[in-house]
Order: sequence, then C-alpha cells, then structure tokens
Amino acid sequence: MARESFDKEIQFLRLLVLTSGAYSRQQFAERLGISVHTFDKTIKRLKDIIYTMSNELPAHQEKELTQMLRYSYYDSSDPMLLFLFRAKSLKESESMRLSLILTAIQEQALTAAELIDVCNEQLPADFPLPDEKTIRSDLKYLEEVGVICKEPGGRPFRYRIHNEIVTSLTDEELTDLYDFVDVMANTQVPSVQGYLLRDNLKKARKQAEPAAELFLYKYPFYSRILDEAHLYTLFRAIRHRRKLSFLYFSPKSGKRYTSQNTNPLFEKESSGKQELVLPLKVIYDHQYGRWYLLGNSNRLGITKYRVEGLTQIEEKESVSEDQFARKCAELEEKIQFSWLLDTGRPVKIKVRFYHPEGGEPNFIKHRVQQQGQWGTITEENEESFVFEIIVNGTMEIRPWLRSFGSSCEVLEPAYLRREFIAEWKEIQSYYESIRENL
Amino acid sequence: MNPFEKIFNYQLFARLHESSTITITAHERSWLKTMLAHPAASQAFQPDTLSKLQQILEPEETYDIASSLIEKAKSVEKQVYHPLLRQLRRVIASNQGVRITYQNKNGRIRSEQSGFPYKLEYSMVKREWYLLWYHLRHHSFMATRFQNILSVAKTELDDAQMQIVIAQIETILDSKKEQAVIEVVRSYNKELSRILYAFSCFEKDVEYEADTDTYRITVTFLMDDREYILSKMRFLGKRVRIVSGQELKERMLESSEKALARYGMD
Repeated sequence: MARESFDKEIQFLRLLVLTSGAYSRQQFAERLGISVHTFDKTIKRLKDIIYTMSNELPAHQEKELTQMLRYSYYDSSDPMLLFLFRAKSLKESESMRLSLILTAIQEQALTAAELIDVCNEQLPADFPLPDEKTIRSDLKYLEEVGVICKEPGGRPFRYRIHNEIVTSLTDEELTDLYDFVDVMANTQVPSVQGYLLRDNLKKARKQAEPAAELFLYKYPFYSRILDEAHLYTLFRAIRHRRKLSFLYFSPKSGKRYTSQNTNPLFEKESSGKQELVLPLKVIYDHQYGRWYLLGNSNRLGITKYRVEGLTQIEEKESVSEDQFARKCAELEEKIQFSWLLDTGRPVKIKVRFYHPEGGEPNFIKHRVQQQGQWGTITEENEESFVFEIIVNGTMEIRPWLRSFGSSCEVLEPAYLRREFIAEWKEIQSYYESIRENL
Repeated sequence: MNPFEKIFNYQLFARLHESSTITITAHERSWLKTMLAHPAASQAFQPDTLSKLQQILEPEETYDIASSLIEKAKSVEKQVYHPLLRQLRRVIASNQGVRITYQNKNGRIRSEQSGFPYKLEYSMVKREWYLLWYHLRHHSFMATRFQNILSVAKTELDDAQMQIVIAQIETILDSKKEQAVIEVVRSYNKELSRILYAFSCFEKDVEYEADTDTYRITVTFLMDDREYILSKMRFLGKRVRIVSGQELKERMLESSEKALARYGMD
C-alpha cells in the first residue's frame, strides 16, 4: 500500500491560512487543482480532526474552517496548524486497542499475554478481539516510536510506558520544562516535535494546576510548521546523500497541487514539473517565514525550490560521499554572500543610515546591528552612519533597506540608488491625493 | 522520522486524553535533547533539573540538523531566555501583584511602582522579552523590556482588585485595536504569495474581487504596532497600497517625501 500522503491537506491549509477567506469554494478548488467535491470532503475531514481534538460538538459550533483557523494574537497560545500532524488515519478498532494498551501499562508493566486479557475484558463487544500476533505487532510499533519500552529482565518481556521525562520531575520542574519547550518551539526551528511534546506536557501539568497561557510571541510566522511536514524527509535524504524526485509546483504557477491519479484513464496533464535533485541544504528565511530546498541537478547545476511547492517526494539513488562533498562545497561558496539564497554576482552595497531625530533612543542603529547580517558600519558621525555589505545581487536585500524609509539612503551602486528614487516616487504617487485633504 | 505517526493520530490522542495517559515519542525526546544543547537551557532550569533531564535523554539520538539547515535573515538573538522569566511566570500564575523598579525608554528610573503583571511577550523581531503589565496608579498598560527591569518583587493583590484590573486591561487592549486595508497593486498579483506571507504574521482577513482581480488585506493590530505595519509596507514597496487607514496613509506619504528629500528630489 502506498504511504499516506498529506500533500493535499498541506497545500489546502496553506492556501486557506494565507488567503483567509478570500475565495469562494469554486475559486479555491480551482486554485488547488481539485474538484469542489474534493474541496468539501477535505474541509469535512479537517473540521472533524479539530472537533475531535477540542472535544467540541459540531452541532454547537458550526463555524467556517477559515474562522476556526483565524489567527488572533491574544488567543494565539496553541499552534493552530499542529492538528495537521494528527491527520494520519487509523482504524477505530486500532485506536481503541492502542489506547487500551497504553492506558493499562501506564499503571504497571505488563506482558503481551496480560495485555491480551486487558483487551478481552475491556474492548466493547462490537470490536473484534485481537489475537496475539496483533498485540505483538502493536507493541513492536509502540516500542519503535519510543512510547513504551521493555523492563529489564528476560522473557516474557514486560512493557511499560516510557515517560520518565515527566514522571521523574517534580511539579515545579515540570513547569520549567513546559516553559522551556514552549519557548523553544516558538522561537526556534524546527518546531513540530516541540509542539507535540508541549501538548503532552500540558496534559501532564493539568493534573497539577490549570495551565494558564502566559507567553506571547510577536509576530510569529505560524504557518511555517506546514512545511516541516517535509523537513525530515529532506534531512534524511541529505544525510544519506540520496537524490530526491518530486513534482514541483512553483508558487508563481498559480496551481498548488494535483491529485495523484492511479487510473491512467483519468490522468490529466499536471502543471507541476517532475524534478530529480541531489538535496544539499535546507534554508529557513526569517523574513517571510518560508522554507527552501537547495540542491544540485545534473542538468541545471544549483537548483532552488520552495519547500511548499514540493509534492510526491520520493527517495532515489545515492551518490558518492565525494560527489556530495564537492557539490556541497560548491553551493556553500555560492551562497556565502546570499542575503537569502541569491547565487548571482556579488555586489558591494553602501548605504547611509540616519540616526533618529530629537534625541530618541537609537533604534535605527540597533536594528541595523541586529539584522544587518555580515555587513559592517564603516563611518559614523552625529547625524548618520555608513553601512557596507557585499551581497549576491541587490534583489534580496532591497526590501530590508527600503523598510527603513527615509532613515536609509542608498549610496552605491549608482543603479540601485536610481531604482530607489524611482520606487519612492511611485510610492509617493499612491498617496499624493491625500495631500489635498491635509 | 515521519512526522505523521499513527501515535499522533487525533482520535487516539483524544482517547488517551480522557485517560490522562501521556505518550512521549523518541522524536519528541530527540527534539528536546537537541534544544537542551542551546545556551538558553542553563537559564531555564535549576542545575540539578537540567542534569537530570540530560541524564534521562542521554540514550536518545540527537538530530544533526545544523549541517543541513541554514537560517537566513535572522535577527541576532539577544536573548531566548532571561533569568526573570522563571520568577515572573510564577508571579503571574499565582495572580499576584508586583512592585517594580525599571528604566523607561528615555533612561529615567521609576522606583517601586505597583503593578499587575499580565503576560510575558517575546518579540520575534527584536529577539527579547517584555513584561506586559498594568500600572496601578497611572491606570495604564505597560510593556517593559526585561533588560530594563532593575528589580521586581511579588506583592499581594486581592481577588476583587484583580478582577477589576483584568477587565481594565481588556478594555485598554480593545481600545488600542485598529485596522487598515491594504490593497495589492494589481500588476503585482503574480507576487501574491510573497505578499501574503509577509502579512501572515498578523490578524488579517483577505478579500478577493474577481471582476477586477483585486486583493485587499484587512489587518488588525494594536496602535503600538503601527510602526511595524509601516515598516512592512515599506518592505513591500510599490507592490501594496494602503486604501483605508488615514494616519497610515499620511505616514506613507511623509515617508516617501522624506526619502526623496534624502536624494535631493524634493
């Protein structure tokens, strides 16, 4: 059986979160490259997950999914897109059985035979009774994911729950751990595993005190966790020096997804591009909260992809350590001066930043020092300072420079200076009409 | 590692929730182990808690993420943790007041002010912590950098007083909310994804007018964040235009005129 893929759900949620209610059903489905029927089915499934997670009854809370996922700063403590990672489907009988096993061994360590008895006693009458093989394979799975472990000693093995990081801590220590996990999941990448752990610790702390949400993070790119779905596939391929094949949808192409048709009769021409790439680095861009994959392809050399455009990812053949190292060094040299990931020609940029007027604290300089990456301040006087940086191309640094408004004057290169003038003129023209009303 | 494990399944999670069963996977422990290597960990725990955790996690795998992940355009991390965090979170959780001495923006020191601590806020842009609190005598809502707090002590606050203060904070926050409508200049619709990403960190609604192929983003923010919205607008440049929000429009006009003056274009 093919591994369950969540490409559709990921693309779906991303479009939903980014466009927050802008599209009708038809428009939405069209942009995703799915039918309205599939759109409705996906909405129903996602809603079902949210309701189950929050124990809300659909009848009382018939809300639009867009409303449910609307980001609201002061209620933003729980990562609302995390539910995507709980979407793996599971037969009801299996979820029932696994929960019985886990609950039973939380109390005391038990053998497989004892667990069969537990299931026989506690499974509702309309569920099939599991045989020994089923229970053993359940235990094997739970041990593999690290949720349970064997007690020391010989056969028959006794299994117990593996949660010392919770049980060996005092309430005070658990509070510190919860805070640490919350802070790190919110401020560092990757976050998904941390958010899942946070859910667990929250549950553990509930027994002690009601967990009040005390921390706020301003402003987070919360949709970044959607791309983390692919992250470990990419990391693993990099670690094993394996090529990846995928169907790539450039975010500029308009369409985000295409269903994977198993029946060739219904195969439509997809607008995605089939790619085969040796993955080298993953880049997280803090300016937009987006992920990129950088790699090497025989045909094109260095290639760059937005992680959000990757679908149907598959591992392919591996390359030699030597070849990987060579390609990686080549890439590292090329991106050494990338503000983000531009591999174009390096340019020296020279700008003058002006200190704020009226003896205000010097937030301009602070910001430049904090965000100016490897740039340096070369001259400084009472009014202003000069900042110099070598970057690949001017495209990527431009928005950052422009965001300083009139506190930043481009000195070099001359063409960038001219372009800034033209751009400010255009921006001015957008608002000129309001001057008459002033 | 597969982030879509059966064990994370929502129905199973709900079932285990009912029986208060806690299931922590090797993935989560590995993540924690990796994070404990961050310097912030030493400020987050008492030394013996930290060594206890490290000992428990010793057999777990660590991710080697550092060699394949590069973070770009990240602000220098002034702090991830701060020694005050543990103390203040406990004051807030116990619904107490504070007596606080701090330095304000202009460097002046305010001694022994009585306040009610509301929440702790981390700025992802400035990469540092703030205490959000209510100044009991001035009846004002304050945001003070941890770095500027010179001393803070817990004080008693009775329940009735606290209820009043919380209601007042909510009123203040509500009154500080404002909205602006930002239109994507149509010729830049092909950059829509980038533009929407730039605004994805705010409370927002998007409207699409199919006839004219026009996107409008309504952003809701607190008055104090006006400057940040403006810097996002300048960041995106001519791709976006404020269509509603008089003050912001005026500021954009002013900004463009002043910028042009820098280039001798006035």
